[in-house]
Amino acid sequence: MPLPAPDLRPYLEELERFADGQLSAAEQEAFESRLETDPALYQAYQQYEQLTADLRWVAGHETLYQRLLALDQRLDQRQLALSRVRRRQRQQQQRWGMGVAAALLALLALWLLWRPVAPSAATEWARYYEPEAGLPDSVLRDNQRPLLAEAMRYYREGQYQPALQTLSRIPATAIGQDTLTYYHGIFLLSQDGPEQIQAAQPFLRRAATQPGSPLAGRARYHLGMAYWRNQQTSAARNTLRAVSNDVKNPYQQAARRVLRSGAMKD
Amino acid sequence: MDTPQQLAEVLTSLRVGNQSFLVQFYEQNRTLFARWARRQHQLEPVAAHELLRTVLVEFYDQVADGRLTMLPDNVRAYVYGLADEQVRAARTTARLPAHEDGRRQRLLALFRTLGLDCQKMLMYFYFRGYHFEKMAGKMGFANANVARMQKSACLRKLYELRLRAAA
Repeated sequence: MPLPAPDLRPYLEELERFADGQLSAAEQEAFESRLETDPALYQAYQQYEQLTADLRWVAGHETLYQRLLALDQRLDQRQLALSRVRRRQRQQQQRWGMGVAAALLALLALWLLWRPVAPSAATEWARYYEPEAGLPDSVLRDNQRPLLAEAMRYYREGQYQPALQTLSRIPATAIGQDTLTYYHGIFLLSQDGPEQIQAAQPFLRRAATQPGSPLAGRARYHLGMAYWRNQQTSAARNTLRAVSNDVKNPYQQAARRVLRSGAMKD
Repeated sequence: MDTPQQLAEVLTSLRVGNQSFLVQFYEQNRTLFARWARRQHQLEPVAAHELLRTVLVEFYDQVADGRLTMLPDNVRAYVYGLADEQVRAARTTARLPAHEDGRRQRLLALFRTLGLDCQKMLMYFYFRGYHFEKMAGKMGFANANVARMQKSACLRKLYELRLRAAA
């Protein structure tokens, strides 16, 4: 069992001064002599040496521990700062991306709003086609042709199918063949269906080629327009060009207008 | 740290208190070690960092105490091994005699209860070997004499703490 260590406190200042080299030459010599003769001082000295040796160990240990701890904090801070920078860069990239996407969307919306819309074929047709006015009532009354009058009435009211049926009931002897053919074509064309427009073309072609018929020029115009409506552009252009060159044709201006407009494209 | 010559120099510099090798090691290996500790022992980064610090201090103690007389060829593997042992609480490295180890550990615990200024001064003097002039400059004292008296007071305080703990 080791003896209890003596109390160092009475010797501590002296021991410290000796160990730290703070004694003068004479003091040191006196101290060293006392060490050899005073067992209590010697024991205190031994104990002091052990304490300071342990303290050196503790100080080294603690210094490294503190250095590593401080380094750890620095590294954590650096990592935090780096991740903050990276996050900021990502956010900036996202903001830019969103900005570009928004700009593209805005451009797309503007383009959709302001893009040049090609007019539809039906719109162009309605804009340039001058429909046949039909025979005036005065002519029909004077000629005493009730069926023809009824057909014209249906035509003016926009009831093209009954108009066509009534026209079919008129005997060929009661009215000129060219008139029957012409109006047959007109009534079909007015129905504005692809099949009817197709069907109207032979009637109008026949009426247009009747020599000496006053309706031939008019039929040519409607035939040209029927070609256009049926997307037979070159036939339409040729036919309407002939109309536009015919000074006697009542549709000369109408034909010129549609040719000039550029609406007729291949 | 490749050649045996360099390894020997590391050991020598650690013995004389130059801890840069371990500080550098910590800086360079902290992240790698944390990844390894997470995989091997499911440790969170903060706990892994603390483990590495503890292991490096233990490594330093082994060198300073003379328990480690040859620096291992692969320091990293050795440190990882120490960490493994630490985690498994099955140390195989040579240990100091129990009474000596206990005495130092108790002194370390008491040292940590001192004020920060006292700790700093004792570390400066007993580990770094600063003279009183330098210590006065570091601590902002008027002169070396004040530094000497302050150090003396701190040592006395530590000694008294030890006396009280032993009573």
